[in-house]
Amino acid sequence: MTTPDVSLTGRLEVGVNTRARKPMVPGARGKWGRFIGIIVITGIVLIPIVAVVVLSLTPSLGSSATGFTTENYAKAFTETGVLTWLTNSLTVTLATVVVAVVVAAPAGYVLSRGRNRFVSGYSLVLFIVQSLPVVTAVIPLFILFAQFGLVDNLFGVTIVYVGSTLSVATWMMAAYFDSIPITLEEAAWMDGTSVLGSFTRIVLRNSLPGILSTAIFCFLLAWNDYLIASVFLKSDTVKTLPVGLQSFFQQNQANWGLVMTVAVVMMIPPVLIFALLNRYFSVGGIGGSLAGR
Amino acid sequence: MSTETITRGIGRARRGVGNGGAGRPVQFKPSNSNRMPGHRSRSTTLLLFALPSLILLVLLNVYPVGYAGVQSARNGDLLSAGDFVGGQNYLTVLQQPVFWHAALFTLIFTLVGVFGSWAIGLALALLLRTRIPANGLFRVLLLLPWVVPIVVSATAWNWLVATPQSPLPVIANFFGLGNPLFLADPTLAQILVCVYKVWISFPFMMMMMTSALASVDTNVYEASKVDGAGPWQTFRLITLPMISRTTYISWILMTIFCVNDFPTIFLLTGGGPVQSTQTLVVMAYVTVFQNYQTGPGVAIAFLMTLVLVIISVVLYRQIRKVNIE
Repeated sequence: MTTPDVSLTGRLEVGVNTRARKPMVPGARGKWGRFIGIIVITGIVLIPIVAVVVLSLTPSLGSSATGFTTENYAKAFTETGVLTWLTNSLTVTLATVVVAVVVAAPAGYVLSRGRNRFVSGYSLVLFIVQSLPVVTAVIPLFILFAQFGLVDNLFGVTIVYVGSTLSVATWMMAAYFDSIPITLEEAAWMDGTSVLGSFTRIVLRNSLPGILSTAIFCFLLAWNDYLIASVFLKSDTVKTLPVGLQSFFQQNQANWGLVMTVAVVMMIPPVLIFALLNRYFSVGGIGGSLAGR
Repeated sequence: MSTETITRGIGRARRGVGNGGAGRPVQFKPSNSNRMPGHRSRSTTLLLFALPSLILLVLLNVYPVGYAGVQSARNGDLLSAGDFVGGQNYLTVLQQPVFWHAALFTLIFTLVGVFGSWAIGLALALLLRTRIPANGLFRVLLLLPWVVPIVVSATAWNWLVATPQSPLPVIANFFGLGNPLFLADPTLAQILVCVYKVWISFPFMMMMMTSALASVDTNVYEASKVDGAGPWQTFRLITLPMISRTTYISWILMTIFCVNDFPTIFLLTGGGPVQSTQTLVVMAYVTVFQNYQTGPGVAIAFLMTLVLVIISVVLYRQIRKVNIE
């Protein structure tokens, strides 16, 4: 047999015409086999997530209820701090999203349109910053924030989140702005529009998908963060869901129903966003979010 | 959307700077800037645009790293700066066998995390590319481990393995494998943490690989079939080379994710039993916030930071090179 790669190159150049769009498909024969295979794989992969939901609906020990019940939910909202944690998480997360997007959008524009030494240095710094461990920044920030009473304070945590989302958020905005042709702006400049004007009226107006992906990324990072919250938030009244769930779990190891109920509450917002906006769900963004953690 | 952003982002990293809109990639001549309203006012505006982000970047990223460098040479704690002790903290850290164990486990954890999730992600991407009923649904469902917060999934995994009555030990017992306690046995805990990491990360790889495979010209497969190439040959000689760039980028990203990963390990095992699942990040955290040895803890974090800065500068250059070729 001849070496396949050589003959392949030949073929490529000739450009064999074919209508087959999914060439690896061995016909319908294996279709149901693969179907069953993927069902089994998905089933196994999802066991932990299904377990969370099922356990939250299972009556806890000593309960008179049988079958599925929502009594854990009633109990969680009255007897645990879940409502406080949820409010705190939402506050911190939304504040982070707004501030990060507002700061990152103009910076991303500079990164996208500018072209000089300063901008390429800035680009390199952003790349380095997003690959550094958060632990390194958290310790000095803790010491610094302690002096200003920003420890054990939702405002302080929000600032840290903005800092840790900013580099990737800027990068994401810049990547999106790259896809908007500069010719549109040039036409506006000819007509005497300022850079600020062309940025807000042309670039931003056409960047909703980019803004949404960036916002989703910031939302997930702030919502899911455990490390920063565990260092900065100690009192029960300022805890966010991740630290709230973790401390509640450590105190109530055996009460799986209640623990998993809190877990479901925490899981709903990201899953909802994913279900509704998965078009804008950017791998890069989420990727970047984990880069820090 | 999905991987477009990252590909573009990497694209700009490769180019080094912005390209001034996709319409006209690199030919952004200096004369172009004159078309912008008033050269000087334009620079001022751009500087003002960048200013808030620059201030925050310096305050929240650059300053802490610098401070960590200084603090690693002092014997202070979280409340006081302490005195200068030179390389004492580094010496203490480097002489601990625990540190070298953590470094080794970081390496193992990263290798398993990167290549394990890549292999599974690629296999699933290939499988879901074939004709399967409702494969769009499976594609979405399989992303859930990545979407669900780690605090939640760590709790779920805890439920799976924590006690002898948990599902996994019970199943193992049923098959005559004894009654393994995953969180009490060092080796089992290490395996568990690695498997958990792969479980979290494979959806990311699946997304990356799916988008890479989508851009492969399907005519090539027809051609290779005509030439009598088998499935394995097709995969090794056509598919793999054609998705090599995305593969390389996803390896880089996943390496950074794994090395810096804190919650995956901390929430499942806390670094135990007997520090067997401690990576460097976990060790730095535990040293500072649980053992209150700020100096040595910061030294570990700063060592990691130095290594990562070097690695990321090298990778940044490397990414640019890959594009030029």
